[in-house]
Amino acid sequence: MSDRSEKAGYLAGLDADAIEWISQTYRANGHSLTVQLPHLNSEQIADLASHVARQSKKQLKSLPLDQIVDAIDRTIARLLDRNDPNRRKMEELLPVVTGYAPEMVALGLTGYLKTFRKPQLKRFLAEDFANPSILDGFQPLIKGGFGRAFGPDLSAHIWAGNVPGLPLWSLISSLLVKSGTIGKVSTAEPLFAGWFAQLLAEVEPALTDCLAVIWWQGGDIERETALVKQADLVLGYGNNESLQSIRQRIPVSKRFLAYGHKVSFSMVGTQALSANKARSTARLAAYDIVRYDQQGCYSPQMMFVEQGGSVSPERFAQYLAHDLSVFEAKYPRRALDIEEAGRLANWRSNEELTPSGKIFGEAAGLWTVSFQQADQGFLPSSLNRTIRVIGVNSLQDVPNIVAPFKSLLQTVGIAASPERLFDLAGPLGAAGVTRICGLGDMSSPEAGWHHDGRFNLLDLVTITEIDARAESAADRLASYVD
Amino acid sequence: MQCDEITSELLNFILEEDNAETFDSLAKKVFAYQFGNNLSYAKFARSRGKTPRTVKTWTDIPAVPINAFKTLDLTCCAPADAAAIFMTSGTTQGGIRGKNYHSTLRVYDASMRQNFAARVMQGKKRIDMGILFPTPEVMPNSSLAHYLNLAVSDFGSPGSGHLITDGSINFDRLISELRQAEATGTPYALLGASFSLVHVLDEFKRQGLTVKLPEESLIFDTGGFKGQSRELDLDEFYDALSSTFGMPRSRCINMYGMTELGTQFYDNGNEACPSVKSGPGWIRTQVVNPLSGMSVPKGEKGILAHTDLANFNSAVTILTEDVGIETDDGFLLLGRAEGTQAQGCSLAVDEFLKAAGSA
Repeated sequence: MSDRSEKAGYLAGLDADAIEWISQTYRANGHSLTVQLPHLNSEQIADLASHVARQSKKQLKSLPLDQIVDAIDRTIARLLDRNDPNRRKMEELLPVVTGYAPEMVALGLTGYLKTFRKPQLKRFLAEDFANPSILDGFQPLIKGGFGRAFGPDLSAHIWAGNVPGLPLWSLISSLLVKSGTIGKVSTAEPLFAGWFAQLLAEVEPALTDCLAVIWWQGGDIERETALVKQADLVLGYGNNESLQSIRQRIPVSKRFLAYGHKVSFSMVGTQALSANKARSTARLAAYDIVRYDQQGCYSPQMMFVEQGGSVSPERFAQYLAHDLSVFEAKYPRRALDIEEAGRLANWRSNEELTPSGKIFGEAAGLWTVSFQQADQGFLPSSLNRTIRVIGVNSLQDVPNIVAPFKSLLQTVGIAASPERLFDLAGPLGAAGVTRICGLGDMSSPEAGWHHDGRFNLLDLVTITEIDARAESAADRLASYVD
Repeated sequence: MQCDEITSELLNFILEEDNAETFDSLAKKVFAYQFGNNLSYAKFARSRGKTPRTVKTWTDIPAVPINAFKTLDLTCCAPADAAAIFMTSGTTQGGIRGKNYHSTLRVYDASMRQNFAARVMQGKKRIDMGILFPTPEVMPNSSLAHYLNLAVSDFGSPGSGHLITDGSINFDRLISELRQAEATGTPYALLGASFSLVHVLDEFKRQGLTVKLPEESLIFDTGGFKGQSRELDLDEFYDALSSTFGMPRSRCINMYGMTELGTQFYDNGNEACPSVKSGPGWIRTQVVNPLSGMSVPKGEKGILAHTDLANFNSAVTILTEDVGIETDDGFLLLGRAEGTQAQGCSLAVDEFLKAAGSA
């Protein structure tokens, strides 16, 4: 498969010959792939935006929710089928684009896509709407009267990062609320969203002109403005600097949902550190670290391990190092460029030079566990399979350690008894944590989870309500009135 | 081996008064000296599996990451006995400053003079000089302040001096010196921090000023912009220097130095950027993979590791955070290994520190 070529994006019926295509070459694992990225100019973006908005008003808004759910389900079923040519292409090309090991991409895709099948989508809907039919028509409200939820005519999604498939969350959310959708993919992983859109249109032709996937180089203010200007709602992903820059260009009358980079961590209690449980605990913890090399916001960057179990925090750090080496053999880490390697080396030497700090690692830096005896500071790792393990007297101390970073926190993976899970959940939530799960599940949020503590669907809609008194007021004017 | 002995051997080598020693044998001697006289250094070397018995050649000497200058006392003399302590600016890592202890400045000064004479003065004994940097009295822990003070006292014609007073550039004096050089045809050297030169460029632009300096004049910058002025693309910077001062870019010399070193690198002008940097015979550079410590194939990007004999009191080989490429006569300096984009949605350390700092 050397030197293949692939077109990114999905243009909702726009003439592919009319736009500029930028070539970008990706190399990994001995393969190379040239991707053609759809680079529309500002006018073309504006035209595309009004086309998608118009078509989705005509097509998508009148489609019953069940039919949309069904279309997504059938698309996902195709992608879950490992013999489907689309799925095969994903497994083949995504490792070249992102550098992740093919086995990890294959495994990750299946686990991830499973969360978008029909039952999961229904759960997803039920999570945000007591009665999902509210997306189809007016439904009685608990307070009285009736309400209907309307998605935006056009939502703009500005995606970031290299974790394959990540754009699917917001893309599917947007479709479920019947919003015309234009997404901008990142250079780091420009393919997945376009493939999905294309297949979805094939499965449900009514959706053909209701969504589009385009690309520009991150930070291209002119193009970004062209899209943002037309959208009723903007969702942005990325670092605070780029989100701030997007926010500045959105009129106050429009809504902007910003998903900034987050930091997650795990906690291991003495119950999980008994002689017969410590090894399996370490294995689960290592799995969270290995998945997509900690690039997801839900990936652990630090680990708090309780003193007093039969396995000490330092010993646990060694177990963890062992499991990382086992995973490395099966799912090798992505190759790092020299800048990333430099930062990792820098992190490693800092950790090593901290008084009483210890490093358990592989010489070439494929994975590194830093154990800190004295320094209890909360500090992110260098990602790419690096983690700081800290021994704490009690897991109860952790919420106080992390509280200063409230706005940056997301997931916590906990290995502790049920009573402690609930005892810790309150203080952790108050400290800013928005998701608590078991070890090993950190990188696979369940269907309907509240991303960064917010409502995936509810945040996208506006409710039009018919005041409870409107009915009786109208009654007076009925033709059948006495 | 005692401090006096190693100092005099190094001075002989730098001043080329004794060619019996080779770079390799001296580097191993300096390594053994540091191993024997600094516990922190010995501990570090052992953690890398290196002792004077296992170090067979200078490339075996373990490279000390520059972070270590922040956390360890890397000195063979007692810290209190140091003749000078040069410190980094402490702009990263919560303001902790790296410290390079110098038991004596004789080696540092000899290294600076020999190298400066060859690469900057190029045969000239003295030149009219203006320094765009504070004096050592104002910045006693700045290696650059010390360096530039040596330059002006040892190589500046009478009347040369510092153009920064009370923290700001003395534009009246600068402009009059430049005008005088232009009028009399006497070569002039303007030396300073890169960001100070940007401030000069901005002010000259505001006033609509340009000068045409005589041939053999030179502009010398060092240190980059460091957020203290606007950030310029290097080509833009040297084009602006060239047009403002009427000098070809080949007469704009950049010095690459570090607080953590006792020797500097220079280029031969900046006709093309990035320029090739090189140093004198008592410093050598390897371009390495920072994780394995192994040299990368020639022509590939890597992190620079310098072995500097003049760093005899602290750490003879250091691992920088600078990215470079080896060339036939030196290396291309490509900048610092930072600020690359996060790959995913996970928060990166730099961003965390920024966000936590503003929280």
